[in-house]
Amino acid sequence: MSLAATRSDAQNSFTRLANGEELATIVRPEEGLISRRIFADPEVHALELERIFARAWFFLGHESEIPNPGDAVTRVCGIDPVILVRDDDGVVHAFLNSCRHRGMRVCRTDRENLRFFRCPYHGWSYRNNGELLAASCENHYGEGELDKGKLGLIPVAQLGSYRGLYFATWDKNAPSLEEWLGDMRWYMDIIFARTGELEFVGVPQVWDAECSWKFATDNFTDNFHVFWSHQSLVQIGLLPDFPDFAAHGHMVTAGNGHILHFVQGAPGDETAMGLGLPKSMWPRFQQHLNPAQAEIAMNHGYSAGTMWPNFHWLQLTTAADIETTPMGILNLRLEYPLSPTRTRMYSWFAIDKAAPTDYRKASYENYVRNFGPGGIFDQDDMENWEECTATAIGPAAKRYTLHHRMGLNRKPDPSWKGPGIGYPDSYGEMTQRAWYGEWLRWMTKPLANGGAPR
Amino acid sequence: MTAAAVTSVVSPAACAPGTPLYGEVVEFLYREAELLDTYRFSEWLELFAADVRYDMPVRTNQFRAAGEGFQEMAFFDETFISLKTRVKRLETEFAWAETPPSRTRHFVSNVLVAPGERAGELAVRVNFMITRTRADHGYQMFTGRREDTLRRGDGGRFKIARRRILSDQTVLTNTNLSVLF
Repeated sequence: MSLAATRSDAQNSFTRLANGEELATIVRPEEGLISRRIFADPEVHALELERIFARAWFFLGHESEIPNPGDAVTRVCGIDPVILVRDDDGVVHAFLNSCRHRGMRVCRTDRENLRFFRCPYHGWSYRNNGELLAASCENHYGEGELDKGKLGLIPVAQLGSYRGLYFATWDKNAPSLEEWLGDMRWYMDIIFARTGELEFVGVPQVWDAECSWKFATDNFTDNFHVFWSHQSLVQIGLLPDFPDFAAHGHMVTAGNGHILHFVQGAPGDETAMGLGLPKSMWPRFQQHLNPAQAEIAMNHGYSAGTMWPNFHWLQLTTAADIETTPMGILNLRLEYPLSPTRTRMYSWFAIDKAAPTDYRKASYENYVRNFGPGGIFDQDDMENWEECTATAIGPAAKRYTLHHRMGLNRKPDPSWKGPGIGYPDSYGEMTQRAWYGEWLRWMTKPLANGGAPR
Repeated sequence: MTAAAVTSVVSPAACAPGTPLYGEVVEFLYREAELLDTYRFSEWLELFAADVRYDMPVRTNQFRAAGEGFQEMAFFDETFISLKTRVKRLETEFAWAETPPSRTRHFVSNVLVAPGERAGELAVRVNFMITRTRADHGYQMFTGRREDTLRRGDGGRFKIARRRILSDQTVLTNTNLSVLF
């Protein structure tokens, strides 16, 4: 289906690309037609950096990664490098990882426990609460030339946490994290608080692929690719030989572009219950969740959720190898663009603190073998994302849309007990359409007042 | 050098460069590399002991005083059965990351052989470099150190009883780990 590059008279240039095309013309979520242009185009990428990555809320890390005073991990907020650090008093901060003097990176390792960040360039030193303690050659500054009180590390505009997850934004006018997550919090409870607290184990796996970040994002709310993209696992008996095996459940659009699935197994598949957790842990759902949440946790084996734009949970039930029975794993994912066609990915493994030791070990093995760059699931996903990106670069391809129309006319299920809109059947593209709808909203809303588009 | 010679404790001198045992280990490593580069994955799997642990820990960027940066997390943490699972997967027509297959070249160098921790075992350290080209893409490269434990299996052939893959990269810049190490 080709796209018309017209309808420009009513629009200002803010929403128009250099070739005259309107963003709202080439991205039509309500019709399930998304232009290939947005995936690998340098102009669209540059707009995304300002309109999305400079002002949305981004996941930085989990509290279990920085449990002690002085603990720090280096991450990104949007695409800017940050330090997530717990100071000497136990307060968590996020700072631009860059000296106020020349901009040199001040935390140059991936994880640390330290009281000071000392810049290698001229030796400016900052306390772990961001205050500038000492510049260099201070006796050579004249009166009023060095105001140390105003030269602390640059903090993110807002830092918030929910269920142990730290998020930040560079936009002081952005809605609060609580407001932004909105109804999504109800579903995050089911994943991040179902048995008490979670632990993010060890360190994330980090890797780069030659793909658009949006193909990763698109894929994390796509259940029906599993049977075919991961057909090798069907062939060796790790996935059911039944195309609809992951179709039983609901898809939910939870507002602000947040989207998720809860999936039951194939009929008669008793492994796809209780989020794949051991039965001994199921009574905890009632203690930590409300009855409607607990019922969802109890009756589903899989869930995939996206906290818009680029943080995802994958609560899956898979087998670690051809001789092991399926069990639960919780994988957290983040991706951000290094360029229009290159993406950096983070993948964490998380476990319920209340989990029995043997389950913890088995779930870890299950995770490592299936997910991350060496995982027998993930490997094949990267192949798709890279090739989808490569074919979106050419000028001819950019005239055409991708197809996201599955379930376009499907009616919501009024019996769904959670907030947002629940749709029956977890094969569909309503969640992708909601994601691209939010993308369009951010990409076409002027920056004048800052903040998320309202 | 006979099989009997390595069922007892080996002296460092007996596995030093230039010895028959050293030569045997090097040839074993070269033949292993050839199996991988010619897609003979089932034959490659036969080189591993049934109780093998094969892992590749995640590495982080750290100051030298903090050690090499290997952390509690892995890109691979495998048993014989999970390696078998990977091989069976690669042998289907649907393992898209390797269908059509990458072209790989496994290089092994800086081979050092020492007595293992247990009688009959050898501790083998090598540097590895793996190049991959895929479809019309440019070269990708994986480098690092590998630490193997070899022991004699049936018929006196070496089996890999332990393999630790220590990557030089903290952020893997190579799309995925669909190649075997």
